[in-house]
Amino acid sequence: MNAPSSQTIEPGAQFRALSSGRTGQVGEMLGAGGQGAVYAASFDGAMFALKWYHDHVARVDVNLRNRLKRSISRKPPSDAFLWPVDLVEMPGSQSFGYLMPLRADGYRCIRDIIAPPPRRLKLSLSMRLRICSAIADSFLQLHASGFCYQDINLGNLFVDPVGGHIMVCDIDNVDVDGERASVYGTRKFMAPEVVRREALPTSKTDLFSMAVLFFYILHGWHPLDGQAEAAVDILDAEAENKLYGTEPRFIFDPDDQSNGPVPGHHDGIARRWETISKGLRKLFTRSFTRGLHEPRDRVLETEWKAAFTRMLDRLITCKECDNDVSYDATPGSPQKCGICEALIAAPVMGKVGRDWVVLGQGRTLYARHAEQGAKNPTARVGIVESHPDDEAIVGLRNLSQKPWLVTLADGRAFKVMPDKTVRLAGGMTVTFGAKRMAITDPADTPEQPAAEQPVAKEAS
Amino acid sequence: MSNPVDLETAGLSRRQLNLVVMVDCSGSMTGDRIASLNFAMRTAVPAIREVAADNPETDVRIRVLRFSTEAEWHVGEAEPIDNFTWTDLKAGGETAMGAALIAVAEILNNEHMPGRQLPPVLVMVSDGQPSDDFEAGLSALMDSSYGTKATRVAIAIGQDADIDTLQRFIGHAQFKPLRAANAKDLVERIRWATTAPIKTASTPTNSPDPLADLWHEASEQNTVVEEMVW
Ligand SMILES: Nc1ncnc2c1ncn2[C@@H]1O[C@H](COP(=O)(O)OP(=O)(O)OP(=O)(O)O)[C@@H](O)[C@H]1O
Ligand SMILES: [Zn+2]
Repeated sequence: MNAPSSQTIEPGAQFRALSSGRTGQVGEMLGAGGQGAVYAASFDGAMFALKWYHDHVARVDVNLRNRLKRSISRKPPSDAFLWPVDLVEMPGSQSFGYLMPLRADGYRCIRDIIAPPPRRLKLSLSMRLRICSAIADSFLQLHASGFCYQDINLGNLFVDPVGGHIMVCDIDNVDVDGERASVYGTRKFMAPEVVRREALPTSKTDLFSMAVLFFYILHGWHPLDGQAEAAVDILDAEAENKLYGTEPRFIFDPDDQSNGPVPGHHDGIARRWETISKGLRKLFTRSFTRGLHEPRDRVLETEWKAAFTRMLDRLITCKECDNDVSYDATPGSPQKCGICEALIAAPVMGKVGRDWVVLGQGRTLYARHAEQGAKNPTARVGIVESHPDDEAIVGLRNLSQKPWLVTLADGRAFKVMPDKTVRLAGGMTVTFGAKRMAITDPADTPEQPAAEQPVAKEAS
Repeated sequence: MSNPVDLETAGLSRRQLNLVVMVDCSGSMTGDRIASLNFAMRTAVPAIREVAADNPETDVRIRVLRFSTEAEWHVGEAEPIDNFTWTDLKAGGETAMGAALIAVAEILNNEHMPGRQLPPVLVMVSDGQPSDDFEAGLSALMDSSYGTKATRVAIAIGQDADIDTLQRFIGHAQFKPLRAANAKDLVERIRWATTAPIKTASTPTNSPDPLADLWHEASEQNTVVEEMVW
């Protein structure tokens, strides 16, 4: 796509940054979209990205400059935002642009999770949950700074599939919450009252878009696309207005099956729904039933984060089909796999406060499990490992700097030093410091004292 | 007991978007015009693939109709864009644009575009006046089930193209036919006409005029004419 037109600027051209007054140079084109094109740019001895608007966008969107100026004058809510640095003009051009940080290598557009192969971005359920949690966190910070995003959709988010970090692009839609918004966002992600043009985007409509995004990331599908969408031959503006504006209905609405899943068409989506935690299902149901009509009832970022974290702690891998599912049964009881329907044996679990953690092979414990108000909640403090000779024997290795105190069911107690492993057994309690974890092992009956003495094993 | 479900294809029941390109192959197109057009279409294909890939929930299919003394399908079976390669067209004869519209009207329905669809995109490329009954063609098009729902785009090649007729085909006051005055223009216009409407139809926004972005971009393209060759 290198055919030049009035819209494009030439690599090598000089530009001027408005607030600093300094000049920079346009580099290669990185991509083009509906509103403009994005170029690499060298400025102040560093590389940036320069978004340059099509003439008509600059002309028609009269608030664009002011929105950008306001964002530039404020500091980015977090590192995840490709926040504008300065406005840019070029001699002889009617249009303008802005400088922002370059997106780091290795990031993929989150839309690729629904792309057909070979472009498909395959992510484990636990990675999807981590990404959702990171997104909730970023928007929490944006909203806390008094901004709203207005056009949350799959195309504006990028992920690092290894580390689970995210980047939010296209900050030019960001506006002060409650100001007159000027964007007509991506319809499938907009709150119904915005689709109906009864309201303008705010942080409350962002919450709706975010719920749609989370549903997409976990199911690869839109929450309001059920039987009603499947029955639409040709999806024109009128049909969309109905599906997402005037008659929106959740595909998994427990009280209204009129837009429910169509057997044979939505089976995979229905299975995925079965794999997510009860807590998350509740939040989605609230978002897409009451939350459709009552902006006040929409799920807050903090609620999402808590539910994602809880589900991460309760993930278990089905031995039959190898899919990860949320273990939601009463601890000690087996659970039917939501995907293959095989029986999943009750796992060894730990209980910290009200929360349960499935202690399967490879499970990592973080500072948030061990400390009250941990400074770095994602620092690793422990990991579950199976015995090299017998995978049924699982132990917890101390990855922290501090010794743990372990109390057995019969009252005996001992210390587990850093880097040592303790064999997990029912009825035992591990005290990390401020927090304490009670272990349940369905293989042991809690009454019966541990048959063989659990000892701190040598680190292998 | 185990009941395998292909989760990976779960989200991938895509809506189809049918792109129909109608090419004027009349005598006046002979020579460098048809050569440029063939070149332009060939280079547009990767760009169409790219925009299709950017919209993973859309399954883009393409058909091509040529019209000169008669209208005939050059590619009559809707071809998935990933498998499509361009075969060169030859020019010679009259400008049966009415017949072309009738042929397209016949496929703008549930039978020829079955299942879940997005509004089709119709691209008309012409350098002259219709030699047959354009009105009959236009009514047939508008009477077909998907005719009024289709996004209609036109490219006028050279000075003799019938702008008024193309404008009536588009049927939107602000959305003007794109003009191509030389080979370089034609490449750019064809690329735009076969990609921008796909993006718009795949990720619709809530703008009161769904075509607003398209016609703005179209009129911007028409403001630059570098060299008048045709
Ligand atoms: N900071 C950045 N660093 C690197 N690439 C970027 C950056 N910002 C945007 N891009 C790339 O530039 C292209 C156009 O981006 P952008 O999202 O700004 O376009 P747009 O006109 O808003 O498009 P759309 O209408 O799809 O939102 C995309 O391919 C995007 O990945
Ligand atoms: Zn299973």
